Amino acid sequence: MSKVLIVDDEPHLRLLYETELRRAGFDTLTAGTAAQGLEYVQTMKPDLVVLDIRMPGMDGIEALQRILDRDNRIPVVLNTAFSSYRDNYLTWAADAYVTKSADVTELVETVRNVLDGRVASRS
Amino acid sequence: MAVEPGPERCELIAASFLQSQRPLLLVTADMAVIAGSEGAARLLGCGPEALHGRSLMDIVVPPELLDACRGGVPCGASGLLHVQLRPAHGDLVPAEIRCSRFETAAGPHCLMFLTDLRQREHDEELRAVRLAKLSLLNQVSEALYGANLSLEQILQAVLICVTAGEGLRFNRAFLLLVDEGGSELRGEIAIGPGTAEEAWRIWGDLATGQGDLFAMMTNYDRSIKQTDMAVNAIVGRMRIPLADTDHLLVRAMHNRQGVRAMAGTPGRGVEQVLGWLGGREFAVAPLTTRRGPLGVIIADNPFSGVPVTDLDLEFLQMFANQSATAIENSRLYRELERRLIDLRKAHQKQREDQETLLRMERLSVMGETSAVVAHELRNPLVAIGGFARALERSLEKSDPNRQYASIITEEVGRMERIIHDLLDFIRPQKQTRASVVVDELVRETATRFLNRLEDRAITLDWDLEAGATRVPCHPGEIQQVLENFLVNAMQAAGEGGFMTVSTRVLEGGVRIAVADSGPGFAPDLADKLFAPFFSTKPTGSGLGLTICAQIVKAHGGVTEALNRPGGGAEFAFILPFPRDDDDHGNAGARGDDVL
Repeated sequence: MSKVLIVDDEPHLRLLYETELRRAGFDTLTAGTAAQGLEYVQTMKPDLVVLDIRMPGMDGIEALQRILDRDNRIPVVLNTAFSSYRDNYLTWAADAYVTKSADVTELVETVRNVLDGRVASRS
Repeated sequence: MAVEPGPERCELIAASFLQSQRPLLLVTADMAVIAGSEGAARLLGCGPEALHGRSLMDIVVPPELLDACRGGVPCGASGLLHVQLRPAHGDLVPAEIRCSRFETAAGPHCLMFLTDLRQREHDEELRAVRLAKLSLLNQVSEALYGANLSLEQILQAVLICVTAGEGLRFNRAFLLLVDEGGSELRGEIAIGPGTAEEAWRIWGDLATGQGDLFAMMTNYDRSIKQTDMAVNAIVGRMRIPLADTDHLLVRAMHNRQGVRAMAGTPGRGVEQVLGWLGGREFAVAPLTTRRGPLGVIIADNPFSGVPVTDLDLEFLQMFANQSATAIENSRLYRELERRLIDLRKAHQKQREDQETLLRMERLSVMGETSAVVAHELRNPLVAIGGFARALERSLEKSDPNRQYASIITEEVGRMERIIHDLLDFIRPQKQTRASVVVDELVRETATRFLNRLEDRAITLDWDLEAGATRVPCHPGEIQQVLENFLVNAMQAAGEGGFMTVSTRVLEGGVRIAVADSGPGFAPDLADKLFAPFFSTKPTGSGLGLTICAQIVKAHGGVTEALNRPGGGAEFAFILPFPRDDDDHGNAGARGDDVL
């Protein structure tokens, strides 16, 4: 069972994503800050990271750089309320970019596709 | 006259007046003409010899009036008769006869002084006309200067005056002006009936109900170019190059002298103008001002057939002089007005630009605020909608709560769409290009790395020599390129290594370089370093340098990577100066300057 690390500063959203991803058959792990997320990446060796961008302290973009600095093989899915980050090429290093929605289907599908090695959704 | 009576006396008298241009007759008591002056012969339409021996009774109508001279008038006295004279040809001529009777040895004789009343009427009429026309000129001058007329109105007014019954009474008038380039005399506008029938009709109308000239000029609000089609078609054909200095019209303009011409008048251009006009005679008056020739007025009488007299020409010229000044004034005024309008427009535009800027600023602030609010709303909506969905799924289809959960999901979806549309609408514009001091940008960017460098005991050397040199760029993007280079150098230099950031002003732009004390790269990799997904490092996306190269390229610059002679690598890029023909930064190099 693939292990997905969810990094988001909003506890309700962490719970939502955790619930939905588990329901979809993934093992999950959550972190409330980027720093904790980075720590889990090293210690818990997740198979994929779902990363929020706007977070207090270290933001998702910096976290992404750091994750890739350490290991550029771990897939990262950026999950954010801000569609405008899509234009920021610093996010292009991520495997996928999903705009947050109450309909979590897209996020779940994206996670599945990335893990299956299918081409990231980036449009 | 105490002269000795006798036949010699009559001969003496006759000899004294025979050459006179005044009409004089010497007659006997029974009214036989003894002698007539040249003037009398001309009046009666025959030679002086032919008068000799004719009876005055055949010449004067009614002849009975002569009875007074025959008997009733005493010697030495004179009488005044109003009669008509019958010339050899043509109509009766109204005349006055002053009869002076004297006695000779051969009997009583009469000396008759004839006056052509037609001539007198004509003279009086001439005086009246002269007066009327002088008064007209005065009126016109007041009208042209007093009223704020456009150039076209003035041209129309001028032509109306040339043709109006109260004015110069020409049948038609044509106005030709020197074109703006000063190369050609060109027909501008004309007035007058197109045909004889039209002429009679118009003059009939005018005779019955016209006001004064000023009223006519100002009430003539329709463009005569549209009403007087036929003459304006003619005037449209009139074009004479000014280089044709022998041409009648060009000559008249340069000599500042009006001329009359008719078929057979020698000189260049006469036949051409007659051809255009389709008439037999015309008058030309130049329009000139102190600043030079403006054009000419051509006037003619093809419908009435009235010959153009010296007086007509004289008035036409006086009138043309006045018109020229008015036309010139109008042109100067119009020029002034045009410049004033240009100034006003410039002012208006400046004000609008300012307002636009202010409005954009306000909109931008509003946009930013709404974007922040919209984004902040997104997260709670995701939670609400997400759990409502989960709830809906977990409830039995028969449970009414399932429907309620579904409603929450739907409404949240609607709110998300609103936010999406709003964010799309107010999506902030990408940073636009600015003129940036390169050294400041480099120093600011590299300074942010100092802590990290310190952690790794890496020494950073500053070698900034661009001074105050500016280049146009997106500062944020260039910072990102530089950051990328710095990160690479930092990783390459490793613990205890050193790095150098340098700037140099070259001929075409500024070169910004980051060098490191690392191992450098294999020479065959130089071409691949900027290729997508190429990475020499075990970690990293491999996209960094590709993106850097794209950004620099979009700025019209180049990136380069080289191994330094003393060891280590140097990554550099050149930002070009704006070209002379490119005052908005390198707009051509990139289409998506904004957004």
